[in-house]
Formats: sequence, C-alpha cells, structure tokens
Amino acid sequence: MLNLLRKDYIALKSSLWAILFYFVVFSVAFIPTVEMSMYFVGIYTAFSSIMLATMIDIKNHNHKFLVTLPLSRRNIVQAKYLSAILYTLFGVFASSGAHWLVNFLFPELNKPDLSVLDILISVGMVLVLISIYMPLFYALSKKGAGIINTVFMIVLIILAQPVASLMNMAGENGMGRASVYVFVSVCILLLFIASYFVTVRLFARKDL
Amino acid sequence: MMNAIELRNLSKTYPLFKLDQITLDIKQGYITGLIGPNGAGKSTLISLITGLIRPDSGSIKTLGKEVPAQEINVKERIGIVSDECFYYEHLTIREMKSMIAPFYKKWDEKLFNNYLEQFELSPKKKIEELSKGMKIKFSLAIALSHDAELLIMDEPTSGLDPVFRRELLDLLADMIQDETRSIIFSTHITTDLERIADYIAFIHKGKLVFNEAKDDVLERYMIVKGDMKLLDADTRRQFVGIRETAVGFEGLADNRAEAERLFGNYALLHRPSLEDLIYFTAKGEKHHA
Repeated sequence: MLNLLRKDYIALKSSLWAILFYFVVFSVAFIPTVEMSMYFVGIYTAFSSIMLATMIDIKNHNHKFLVTLPLSRRNIVQAKYLSAILYTLFGVFASSGAHWLVNFLFPELNKPDLSVLDILISVGMVLVLISIYMPLFYALSKKGAGIINTVFMIVLIILAQPVASLMNMAGENGMGRASVYVFVSVCILLLFIASYFVTVRLFARKDL
Repeated sequence: MMNAIELRNLSKTYPLFKLDQITLDIKQGYITGLIGPNGAGKSTLISLITGLIRPDSGSIKTLGKEVPAQEINVKERIGIVSDECFYYEHLTIREMKSMIAPFYKKWDEKLFNNYLEQFELSPKKKIEELSKGMKIKFSLAIALSHDAELLIMDEPTSGLDPVFRRELLDLLADMIQDETRSIIFSTHITTDLERIADYIAFIHKGKLVFNEAKDDVLERYMIVKGDMKLLDADTRRQFVGIRETAVGFEGLADNRAEAERLFGNYALLHRPSLEDLIYFTAKGEKHHA
C-alpha cells in the first residue's frame, strides 16, 4: 500500500503545484463572495485533487503497467480510495485554515464562525462524491473517464448554489438535530464502503 | 518436465474474434516462440497470461500458481516486455525505476544500472523522449533486474535495430542457460525464433495449431516445389496450403514421409522456415474458405 502511495507521489510530483493552485483559485473565487465558501473551497479543492490523482493513471493507459506489478487489482483500488481520503482531509482542513485566517485578518467579511460540524459536512460531501466517481472511473475506458471528470466538474458547478440553499433550508427547518447527523454520517460511511467493494469488483473484471 | 505456464481450455470472445479453447503448456527452462499471422490471437493470449484481460472460461497456471488467485506471487517472479509502453511518460528513467523497484523483493539495483549502461540508456532521459527501441530496452532492463523466472515478451524485437536484436537474442539465450528460467516470445520476425526458440506454439484464427519442439515441427513439414501437372484432387490433399503461379506451384505438406514418397522424384523438396508455416497455413485457410 505504501509503495502505491509512493508511486502516486512520484507520478504527481511535478503536478503538486496544481493542487495548491486549485486551492488558491477557489479561495479567491468563493471566500469573498459566497457565504458558505467554507464548503465550496474544501470540496472543490479536494475533488479537483482527487481527479488529478486518478487521471494521472490513465494518461498513457498506465493501468496496463500497474496491473503487471506484484499487486492485486484490489490493492490498486484500495490505495486510490486511501489517497482520496487524504486529499479530502487536505482540502477540507486547508479550507478551514484559510477561513480561520480570513476571519482573523478580515473580520469585515463577516464569515460565519467555523465549527466541527462544518468540517464533517464538507468531508461527508466529498465522500459521497468519491463514492459515485470511483466506480465510474474504474469501470470506464480512458475516454469515458475523461468524460466523467468533465461531467463531475460541471455538475459540481451547477449544483453548488442549489445544494447550499438546501442546506440553509434544512438548518432553518430544524433538521440539524444530532440524531439526523448521526444517521446521515452512517449512511455516507455505508455508501463509501459499498462504493469501494463495487469498484474493486468492477476493476477486477475489467479488460485493460 | 515442469511447465512454466499451463493454459487449460482458455477462451475469450470479442465481437469479431474468438480465442477458442486454448490448451497449452510452456515448458520450463526453454524458449517458446508464439507465432501466427496478424489477428491470430497472440497478443490476446499474452494479455490473458499477464492478467491484462480476463478469460471468459478456462484456467491459467503460471509458475505452478493459479492466476488470478495467486497473482501477486506470480507477478513477483515474472518479467514482461512489450512493444507497447505503458509507463508514466512524463517521468525520467530514474524516477520510473524508483517507482517500480520497491515493489520487487529481489530487485537488484547494481544489475539494473549495468543493463542501463549496456543498453546505452541515460537515467536522466524522460520516457516520452525514448524511441520505441529504447522503450523496449528499458522494459527489458526492468524485467531482468528482479530475477524473473519467466520472461513474457510480446513482439519485443519489432522496434529494435538488427544489431541490438542480435544482442538481445544472445542475452535471452544466456538467460536460459541454467535451465530454470523460461521465456515465451511472441513475434512476427520468425527468423529470431529460428535462432533461439526451442519450442514453437502456432496460433491461427484463435486456435492452437500446434505446440511442439521447433526441430520436430520443421522436420515434420516439407516444402514441395514442382510443376502444375503434379497437382490433382488427391495430391492437393497433402498440402496445408499451396501457392500456384504460371510456372508451377509451391506447397507446404504436413507429412514429410508421404510428400517424399509422392513427389520425391518429380519435385524439389526442402525444409520449411517458420515463415513458410505461417504463410501456407493462412493461405490454406483462405483457400478452403
């Protein structure tokens, strides 16, 4: 597993600046203008990084190389899910740090105070996106995976505002009870685990 | 005799092609050449053995282990060289090596550096800057640096210049001297196999035609060249395939003794090349169709 994470690092070494670039662009774009920027910056940065990390493996049909290494296809999927979790944590914590800093340096922007719940909601949303994205990425061909990436980016942009409004409404209608959060968290975790098993199954059967 | 690879009733169906019930043993300690015309199923078979594609039915046992059930153990012990390169093109040879080496328990850094020197590959060069031949040399250096017991090579000599092709064949011949290592080698360049192969597996239209010792095969078949008057319905049946021209015919007979009895006094007979086997088998199929 460590070797696969190391493999990702070597393959992405020259593109790591892009992750910081995404973070800066999304921060500049959302923090001054969007009330719920904490979610957007974290989710967009995390998901863009995940897409960068997955696309690097299909640029030159590299799965054909990876499956010849002394690994199972399950190992390859496991490592990608693990790195997706790491990117999620990076995106969300980087966003939290940026918002904390903005609150401190520019109080006139009136950004809402951060809570642990905000971090958990962001993490949960990225986990849902990963759960849908990964099986599609591993099941489709190089061309299909490229299309999926584009579709995901478009959907993220289109659905950003409606989802934000929905979350506001949910908060106002008293859906913010602890029991609801626990229920939703468990559902997201189950979805993530199910997605992992589906992806392993799809990739194990796939002809490369 | 132990088998490096055992394929049993292996089938894979595509919309326009079917690899049909292949049962094949690749002998340990020898070089087996996989030959056949374009689209015969050689690359599909190699992809099945290397785990790139999954069979619809049948089983694969490599180095005594079931694949894919025990694939990690198997992949630790095999080296794969292909004419197609699927490395990360933006990386240098050194970076690519750093990525690959930790996966192998028996990785030999010194040996790898020796091969780079022997193959005149600079570790600073990016994969995307390598020519096709250089990419094959790099994958060969990787395959030979982790003490692989079995080398699986798909068209490895296709992009190589004649000088390195000869060097590669010598390298492979040296590699199997201890009789514990094995090589399966698919190629169109049948002269390479005539030089080094011990066994020949011939695939045609997704079916295994034969898998025999090279010398036995070449002894069993016979090329007959003669006048058209020698051909009638009965004598035609002796041939796998016939090429007819205005001045006569040339055919491949699959029973040497019978060909000698029938044509010995009237035609020119000689031992076929592997290329003759491929050509006349394909031609014969077309003729019958």
